[in-house]
Amino acid sequence: MIGRGGSRSLAILIDRADAPPRTRDPTPPEVDDVTEPPRDPASRRTFLKRTGALAALAASPARGAQPGADAPPAARPRVIDCHAHLHHRGRPSWEADDRALVDAADRLGIDVLCCSMLTPKRPATADGFRECNRWTADGMKRHPGRILGYAYVNPGAGAEAVDEVRRCVQEYGFIGVKLYNEFFCTDPVVFPVIEAAIDLGVPILHHAGHVHHPLPDQPRISDGGRLAELAARYPEAKIICAHACGGGDWEWTIKALRHAPTVYLDTSGSVPDDAVVEMAAKVLGVDRLLFGCDMSMTQGVGRIRGADLPEADKAKILGGNMAKLLAGRAG
Amino acid sequence: MILDVNAYLGPFAFRPLRHNTADGLLGLMDAKGIGRAAVSSASAITYRNAQAGNEELAAEVRGRADRLIPFAVINPAYAGWRDDLQACREMGFRGLRLYPGWHRYALSDPACLELVDAATAMRLPISIPMRVEDVRNQSWLVNVPEVPLAEVAALVAARPDARFLLLNGAGFANGPLGRKDSGLPPNYLIEISRMDSVLTDEIGRLVASLGADRLAFGTGMPFHYPDISLLKLEALRVDEADRRRIAGANAESWLGPA
Repeated sequence: MIGRGGSRSLAILIDRADAPPRTRDPTPPEVDDVTEPPRDPASRRTFLKRTGALAALAASPARGAQPGADAPPAARPRVIDCHAHLHHRGRPSWEADDRALVDAADRLGIDVLCCSMLTPKRPATADGFRECNRWTADGMKRHPGRILGYAYVNPGAGAEAVDEVRRCVQEYGFIGVKLYNEFFCTDPVVFPVIEAAIDLGVPILHHAGHVHHPLPDQPRISDGGRLAELAARYPEAKIICAHACGGGDWEWTIKALRHAPTVYLDTSGSVPDDAVVEMAAKVLGVDRLLFGCDMSMTQGVGRIRGADLPEADKAKILGGNMAKLLAGRAG
Repeated sequence: MILDVNAYLGPFAFRPLRHNTADGLLGLMDAKGIGRAAVSSASAITYRNAQAGNEELAAEVRGRADRLIPFAVINPAYAGWRDDLQACREMGFRGLRLYPGWHRYALSDPACLELVDAATAMRLPISIPMRVEDVRNQSWLVNVPEVPLAEVAALVAARPDARFLLLNGAGFANGPLGRKDSGLPPNYLIEISRMDSVLTDEIGRLVASLGADRLAFGTGMPFHYPDISLLKLEALRVDEADRRRIAGANAESWLGPA
């Protein structure tokens, strides 16, 4: 072993947004109104043109994303962040923090944020995940057309988890299911939730990572290999492997998913490594890649901007592929 | 002009790098609008004898000193480091990079302090990457923790005449390195690549608490997509004068013009 072998942070592999909300420094940034990227839609387009960010965009709007007061102009194709989080409302600053998320999306040209809300303490109780999902539904109403919801459940709640998934999709209009690390995705306790998602025609965004050192705080984290195994068992399921760039060895993850054609890879995460997107496109194909940030906003957008791929391929990653996934919802 | 204080050349032990020759990196810089870059050897991070990496780098950047500013990786725990430092100075190196975690020494070790003093006497800035890779990505062969910010703060306080570039770090805004009133000397620049300028906005908070004259642009290329740091700089809510300071003026005042 190289190095002094100091303590490895327990926070590792909980990428930013999947971690319990961190304390936000209350110090506000100095804002210069002259140079502040403007927030109204027309000026936002000007900002994007100036930065050159996200010039090629996805083709079709996400199902369930209704135009609202702060919705982007209809003429501009949508960029969809497949992995975001609203802030738990036990946190005093949740409202401002959610607004800051939408503001960040505005500044970076992200039109739609697909959000879940996790309980601060896990494993989540049924009451806990139901409360989170109610607040996510409220977040969709507060930011119409900008926030779409994933139903977060702990599969260990059994029938209550399955019922909650159905209720969230059918009553709240959620677009998918978010699973974390309470169980390996190949544990049979998870299967009824997967089967409900298949019935409803919605994707499952699954927390994932593969590291080469023990993660004592995440003994049941799934990785690309387990997700591929789940996909072999349920080829009808639409599975999203979360945060390629926040889940440890991304080369391992990409290779593990190669022969699992129904598993999509979310490119989000805080790790800014070069060449991730290109390797994923080469090994998996661009049709299986979904743009995401997982709250690491400039990393998420910047890596797609920097990827050496044709603009048409970037458009698929930025929103086209996710829009197709969302269009598959039953009913 | 954009000056990147956090760039590298050569192979890395644990994954392939693109754009890691002088020609390759200059091509990438041209494509991204980056004028100059402070570069060190990526190989020297894991070579036992880091000086071999410095010699490779010197050969690679020869004739490109207008854009590629060579920084030497010196390991004060390894035999002959004083000779290596002198040799690097004579080869035209303009700064140092230290890897205390990878090279197994502490910033407070007497040999490290002697190296800092020697570099200061040569007027060489000293850059310290807080990490090389995210700890989650590390190979099974290595387990190198990040450089603790508390140790960095102790070093900048102990050597007020030295000049430090703090690379690949985050979490400054919550500690003494991120505050003007902490009593630390203003002898360090914080490089922005690992912090954000939206949402958590640590870069914006550092501008507010420490001042735009204490930040420096960096990318970590070719380990990282340079576009990420460029986007952070673009999205940062500061006036254009402060943006220019961060983009290159602050670093240029330390490293000199092209």
